[in-house]
Amino acid sequence: MSKRPRETANVGAGLWKATGMWAWLLFRISGLILVFYLGAHIVVISTSQWSEAGKTLNDLMKSFDHPVLVLLDLALVVAVLYHALNGVRVILMDFGVGVKSHKVVYWICMAVVVILFAVFAYVAFSFIATGKGVM
Amino acid sequence: MRADAITSHRGGMWSWLFQRVTAVLLIVCLAIHLIFTHIVGIGEIDYETIGDRLAHAGFIAVDVILLAAGTFHALNGLRMVLMDYWFTSRRRARVLTAALWVVGLAALVYGIWALWPWIS
Repeated sequence: MSKRPRETANVGAGLWKATGMWAWLLFRISGLILVFYLGAHIVVISTSQWSEAGKTLNDLMKSFDHPVLVLLDLALVVAVLYHALNGVRVILMDFGVGVKSHKVVYWICMAVVVILFAVFAYVAFSFIATGKGVM
Repeated sequence: MRADAITSHRGGMWSWLFQRVTAVLLIVCLAIHLIFTHIVGIGEIDYETIGDRLAHAGFIAVDVILLAAGTFHALNGLRMVLMDYWFTSRRRARVLTAALWVVGLAALVYGIWALWPWIS
């Protein structure tokens, strides 16, 4: 251990170094993406009021079945899953769980992200390939 | 619970607490929302099927919780980010908070209006 006091000693004994820093940055970026998506999502759903019997909404929903938009949707799922699972880790740390082993907890959370993403990716690619859902 | 986690949060204790409460609500309700819209209902979402889903009070509750908790969580998170940059002083932060409350309440009203054809 160096004699120099750690510069980040006040933030959980260097919690935001290396892995933690990237975790924090991606958490912030995914959060910002989701803020803008939420705004867009509310506007899209409000098209229910834009024409009689939801015609505008139905036309919009049809256009979202395009492969490019399905893939964009899948990218959004990555942002949601990352933000959710890293958020779980942050809340656990607030309760004092996994503070010392935060890197291990982080990679366990990322494994969960990958597994859940695989489920959504399977459904999305099946839909792109067949035009049908899997259920 | 680590007390310093609360006191070190510049946004204030209530902001910290509600960010976590809404986070838990969002994880539960978003899981339901994503399973039904992106897995079960993929390619079949339109005015009719949304209406069928929202005929159940439970789904109305899920959507309204998503709208309210999501709007709070999103704008409070945005507030945290912005307070790290330009809104650094107490006075600027207050202006930002007030502006975001106006935006948030407007989004809530607009969101309820968007759902109205199905839930009224």
